[in-house]
Amino acid sequence: MHGNSLRRGSIAGLPAGSGGALPALVLVGLFFVVPVVALLLRSVTDPEPGLQNYAALFGSGTYVRVFLNTFLVAAVVTAVTIVVAFPVAWMLAIMPPAFGSIVFGIIILSMWTNLLTRTYAWMVLLQRTGVINRTLMGMGITQEPLPLINNLTGVTIGMVYIMLPFMILPLVGTLRAIDPMTLRAAALCGATPFQAFRRILLPLSLPGIAAGGLMVFVMSLGYFVTPALLGGTSNMMLAEMIAQTVQSLLNWGLGSAAAFVLLVVTMALYVLQLRLVGGKRPAGGL
Amino acid sequence: MLLDYNRLGWLRVALAGFTMLVAAFLLLPVVFIVLLSFGSSRWLAFPPPGWTLKWYQQLFADPAWIDAALTSAKIAAMSAILAVVIGLFASFALVRGEFRGRQVLRGLLLTPMVLPVVVFAIAAYAFFLRIGLAGTTVGFVIAHTVLALPFAIIPITAALEGFDKSIEDAAIVCGASPLQARLRITLPSIRIGIFSAAIFSFLASWDEVVVAIFMASPTLQTLPVKIWGSLRADLSPVVAAASSLLVGLTLCLMIVTALLRRKLSR
Amino acid sequence: MTKPFLSIRAVRKTFGAFVAVHDVTIDVPKGEFLTFLGPSGSGKSTTLYAIAGFQDPSSGDVLLEDKSLLSVPSHKRNIGMVFQRYTLFPHLSVAENVAFPLRVRHRPDAEVKRKVADMLSLVRLENFADRFPGALSGGQQQRVALARALAYDPPILLMDEPLSALDKKLRQEIQAEIRRIHRETGVTILYVTHDQEEALHLSDRIALFKEGRIEQIGTGEDLYVRPASEFVAGFIGNSNFLPAEHLETAAGAATVRLADGSIVTGLTAAEPFSKGQKVRLMVRPEALSLTPGPASAALAVDIVDTAFFGDRRRVVARTPGGDEIDVRPTSDTIDPAGATAGSGQRIFFDPAAAFLFPA
Ligand SMILES: Nc1ncnc2c1ncn2[C@@H]1O[C@H](COP(=O)(O)OP(=O)(O)OP(=O)(O)O)[C@@H](O)[C@H]1O
Ligand SMILES: [Mg+2]
Repeated sequence: MHGNSLRRGSIAGLPAGSGGALPALVLVGLFFVVPVVALLLRSVTDPEPGLQNYAALFGSGTYVRVFLNTFLVAAVVTAVTIVVAFPVAWMLAIMPPAFGSIVFGIIILSMWTNLLTRTYAWMVLLQRTGVINRTLMGMGITQEPLPLINNLTGVTIGMVYIMLPFMILPLVGTLRAIDPMTLRAAALCGATPFQAFRRILLPLSLPGIAAGGLMVFVMSLGYFVTPALLGGTSNMMLAEMIAQTVQSLLNWGLGSAAAFVLLVVTMALYVLQLRLVGGKRPAGGL
Repeated sequence: MLLDYNRLGWLRVALAGFTMLVAAFLLLPVVFIVLLSFGSSRWLAFPPPGWTLKWYQQLFADPAWIDAALTSAKIAAMSAILAVVIGLFASFALVRGEFRGRQVLRGLLLTPMVLPVVVFAIAAYAFFLRIGLAGTTVGFVIAHTVLALPFAIIPITAALEGFDKSIEDAAIVCGASPLQARLRITLPSIRIGIFSAAIFSFLASWDEVVVAIFMASPTLQTLPVKIWGSLRADLSPVVAAASSLLVGLTLCLMIVTALLRRKLSR
Repeated sequence: MTKPFLSIRAVRKTFGAFVAVHDVTIDVPKGEFLTFLGPSGSGKSTTLYAIAGFQDPSSGDVLLEDKSLLSVPSHKRNIGMVFQRYTLFPHLSVAENVAFPLRVRHRPDAEVKRKVADMLSLVRLENFADRFPGALSGGQQQRVALARALAYDPPILLMDEPLSALDKKLRQEIQAEIRRIHRETGVTILYVTHDQEEALHLSDRIALFKEGRIEQIGTGEDLYVRPASEFVAGFIGNSNFLPAEHLETAAGAATVRLADGSIVTGLTAAEPFSKGQKVRLMVRPEALSLTPGPASAALAVDIVDTAFFGDRRRVVARTPGGDEIDVRPTSDTIDPAGATAGSGQRIFFDPAAAFLFPA
């Protein structure tokens, strides 16, 4: 009476209990694996067989700069996200639930709000004549409007905004799993709050930080919408470059080659991340 | 003591203050856009010189916006239903099945969530062009179902893993057929997971931009594509009005979710 | 009594409207092994936490050598503690756990090394220095925790039910170890447990907690032989309680009438009673015998069951009023002929070994 008496899981040749996965497998196989593999093949066949697309990609200063810029942005975003998320997660992990649930509500609201809506808000907020520049000038902090958009600053703000929930929520779990008694013991052993933080709390939350950080880094690497709207032309990121190469330049070979590079890096980091969290991926929100 | 809220001393003040700042940072764009949508300034000046509903009037007067919203809702609903049904079957196999490669299969089915969307977008675009599905509702639904599937599988497998199979077996011992046992015992027990799956997969499609940009045709546009187009053209306050409605929708979803979860978990 | 070393003065702790600890006052001389004994929720841990500095008392004071500890943060109190749950630092090896208090005090490496070796040999875990806590048994973890708590020579060691998660055999083994360490180091120990045997076995004095108050404080023998209340008598050792009516008290000896109408005289009263007041007579099972002694009082009973354990005999009797009485004659009072179940029999006790408590 295992698994699949409901569906005919024992169709000849199918392993026991696997039948239910068939529709999903067909869907993903036919409409995900096949298109992606076909695309990757194109990188070595379009316009003619060979590795010329990869040569073009790595031989051109422009493209190499895009790669470096992508890694730079992802690294900066990840670092800022970790630094901002940690204290928030810490507070959320120990706060009385009455206050905590308000903050959780805000996090979920921001996370579930349409991506374009949030990015649009930042476009308006960060523009030369936007609220932030006016406020800063009104307070006399700056004379000239600061360039906050169409550059790395804008992308970082916008991306950190989007990534924060993905870092905060799993970190809360990590911090809640740490027994407060451990830190009381540390204090009684003579550790100052700073020593207890550096020697106990931080090392114990490191697996969560690493897993969350890696996830944010991976997501940032391939992000398209926010960099495209808040970033400048001089620091384009990989995803936007791929889209443009295909859409505007109609250079499918080169675009596919870049997509392949992105895919390999992403999947490698993903596997690493899975190792870190032991196969469990936190599903945010609900 | 670092994890005792009452014993943090000045650190608590600092942490709570910082948390409030971050909460404000997370809330700022959402509130800002809603306020702006009622502002009378064409140039999105803030604080607005006056208050008006004209952007909402323009929004509702423009059939392109209405069409886009309806298209989005239709595609998201169909994708969500498909993703939940397919995901439900797949989850049973992933959790209950005993076959080699189960973990590999799970990894494969979750990959669409991890792979940068842009890669899938151009791949699907090229593929659908070739098989004649580009720019069609069917194409949209298929692509979005692929993207939504992981968001359905994760909560359902989690719920199934937390469900004690022996309860289902007990029902069968009591004389229920395996199908009845599943429909009457197991499904109701994992309904929170199924419900989460529905919300997540709906949102996955409803908010999806990248694939939509490639798949859209002049006659078939989803709401995000319409917004995207407006954003690239200008920062018209009509977008603020549309965005505010989306924020309102999110709030409704959150409230419904909270209420339903409270009710279902009884 | 020597001058108090640690002094707990009228410590009170409330959580909202609930009073977890009511004005507890205890003076602890240096080197004492004092145990807080009491049922779950009686405020033992809360009192201990006030000393450790994990919670501020709502009122009252904690003094160490006449200086108040309350304004001193935990990390400057220089107190050692072993917890009920294992609180070793999971990312540090056994040696690094023990070294932790010394490292945060910036002690020189050579000293740390020496001290860690000393401590590990004190708890007999020399060979486990490089293990991680996850690879140790519960008993081993608690011994590491003990070594960590003693590594910085704290004058006071707090232990909050350190053995409650261990099985009986391991518990006895570590109890012996704790006694030895107390002897060898002379550290003042405040020990929390709800196991009376453990308390009797380890402590110089026992403070018995009930609902946030100290019901009685004294040596184990004090509590056993001279219980101040029915609660103490019931918590420490086994006791039989019989309903009775107080008739009179003269020259410290009380006279009561039992439910079956028999009169018992020469009893110790815990407090003055009025004539006719309902009281309860307590007598320990081992103070009861089947043969009359020189000054015995007698009870008419039915013997329900008897069992022989080699060194002692256990008899279950029932009074006409239906109260069960546990009788465990000590070896010198075992009746060689044995008792047989049946009605209309008598059991005996020395009234001086019985107590009266208010009903
Ligand atoms: N943080 C708290 N908030 C509210 N009530 C508390 C808190 N801590 C303890 N209490 C209450 O105070 C009372 C005393 O608790 P305490 O932990 O001191 O008991 P204990 O004697 O150590 O019991 P145990 O043997 O179970 O450890 C209990 O009724 C407990 O519920
Ligand atoms: Mg306790």
